[in-house]
Amino acid sequence: MTRTLLITGAGGVGKTTVAAAIGVRAARHGMRTLVVTVDPARRLASALGVEELGNEPQPHHDEPNLWAAMLDASASWRAVAMRHAEPEVATRLADNEFFRAASEHFPASQSYAAADQAATFVQAKAWDLVVVDTPPSGGGIDFFTAPAQMADLVGGRLLRWITGGPLPGRRAFFNLAARPVLRMADSILGSDLLERVAEFLLDLRTTYDGVSQRGREIERVLRSASIFVITTADPAPVREAIKFYRELPGLASHPAAVVFNRALPEDWADATAPRGTSAALEQNFARWSAETIRQRDTREEFSSRYGAHIATIPWSSSTPTDLDGLASLLDEARELPWVEVGIS
Amino acid sequence: MLDKRLVLVSGKGGVGKSAVAAGLSLLAQRRGLRVLAMEMASPGGLSSHFGTGPLAFEPREVRPGLHAMQMVRSDALLEYLSLQVGIRGMSRFGPLARAFDALATAAPGIREIITIGKALWEVREDRWDVVIADAPPTGQIGSYLRAPITISELVPTGRVRSQADYMSATLRDPDLTELILLSLPEELPVTETEETLRWLAKEDVVAKATLIANRVLDELTDPETPPGPVGEAARLHRSLWSEQQLWLEKLPPDHILPYFYGLFTPGEVAAHLADEFEAIA
Repeated sequence: MTRTLLITGAGGVGKTTVAAAIGVRAARHGMRTLVVTVDPARRLASALGVEELGNEPQPHHDEPNLWAAMLDASASWRAVAMRHAEPEVATRLADNEFFRAASEHFPASQSYAAADQAATFVQAKAWDLVVVDTPPSGGGIDFFTAPAQMADLVGGRLLRWITGGPLPGRRAFFNLAARPVLRMADSILGSDLLERVAEFLLDLRTTYDGVSQRGREIERVLRSASIFVITTADPAPVREAIKFYRELPGLASHPAAVVFNRALPEDWADATAPRGTSAALEQNFARWSAETIRQRDTREEFSSRYGAHIATIPWSSSTPTDLDGLASLLDEARELPWVEVGIS
Repeated sequence: MLDKRLVLVSGKGGVGKSAVAAGLSLLAQRRGLRVLAMEMASPGGLSSHFGTGPLAFEPREVRPGLHAMQMVRSDALLEYLSLQVGIRGMSRFGPLARAFDALATAAPGIREIITIGKALWEVREDRWDVVIADAPPTGQIGSYLRAPITISELVPTGRVRSQADYMSATLRDPDLTELILLSLPEELPVTETEETLRWLAKEDVVAKATLIANRVLDELTDPETPPGPVGEAARLHRSLWSEQQLWLEKLPPDHILPYFYGLFTPGEVAAHLADEFEAIA
């Protein structure tokens, strides 16, 4: 059985590093582990042995059980079209300016592509553990809602309204009610822009059955996955973590933990500088002590309000640049539910 | 920064865009300017710093002289069509609005021009001395800044086209528009800022970008490391500080904002940032 662990949270909280660190740990416990990341820092990518974007998992050169894949969302989106459209339509879509724009602008497209790829890796049954570093869009919620949103985009009411009820042929045959509107819009825009868009949407619509069926498969994989929500104690990422807790039910399992990264040692909260400490050191300690108190209170509030299991990872001064650095990042982690990773 | 008519605050996700836009708005308000603060891309970003609850499309006065609003694309579209393009009497759910919504999903530049167009419209209206936007992150800001040009390429003539020309001109005018690129002295934000600067140099869509580094630590001058928590905190501080210095040297900012220790609420953070800007601006 392949376990799936989804690492979600806001941007900039160290999600990718934590995902990689967990992956290295699991690999060293003898689990065949794949780490899927979206946009890693260069130093981290090289530690994982993936320097080039590509959707194919690469085995690590000196860690026998570790694979890594760095997703190229635009390539994945194209793959979606190729997989679900007739060959002729797929070619037309791939060359279409609107398709490129839609794949960039549709907010959930990167999330959809990532979710689709991750599900493919899980379904391949080639690994004991697949750790997925999810795109930060929507605080990670997009990752779960993307399959349904995608199906809605290609088969939604709006598109049916513009293009008419049953699927027409290649020639765009617009809904009679929509026609005057389209003509009016054309006159404002001064070109046949809307008609070109509608033709594109018609092509896209032919992928609906494939996309919605695939969407249900992806949702099944996501629902059975374990989730770690990563955050720091800063207000903005905490707000995203709260949003995730509030909006999640129904889409996924309850998160196994909220992991507060960059945690300061708890004994800094109550310690005072001994007599004889210089003013500079005393001021420095007072500041970090205040920061420690803020972090502790933030965690306690989160736990009591949302009943979340809280874990912490200590603040390390620099990003690990090799596998040993990644593995030791979690040496001092507290309350991390390793059982969810498959390590007892 | 506050002598411009439009200030766009962008940066990688998580660097503190909303807080900085809120702090700048509070400073402008303190100075007696008529200010519009706009949540352009992340709903709730500014309102949490102002402590006001969710904002709406219609600007609301959150402090004397400071109004705040949230971008709502469907409302902005209606306003755009009615005020700028001259089509009146449309409903938010009417056929034309729906057709445009489909267009906005698929056509390059439409979604962005509605958003940036709203900000530029408010600049033109003269109701405000300055419009301060919590703008989309650096990963997306390019397509917003370039939207007027994208539209011009897509739509050769017509009313939308002439609006686009005026928008490009406003964005390019250094007396009217300022783009703030906020960053942290860390690898990913610096890399992303550098990419954005390269893109801006190539595209010529804004006259000038101001670089601000956020959460910068002071140097700890005492070299001692006594045993216990005081020494541990000194050691952590020094190693974070020297890591930060590397990134600050790689991409020297125009201004720096300090790390705030132990601040709880977004409101406190924004007020402190306003104090810091007082010293800079």
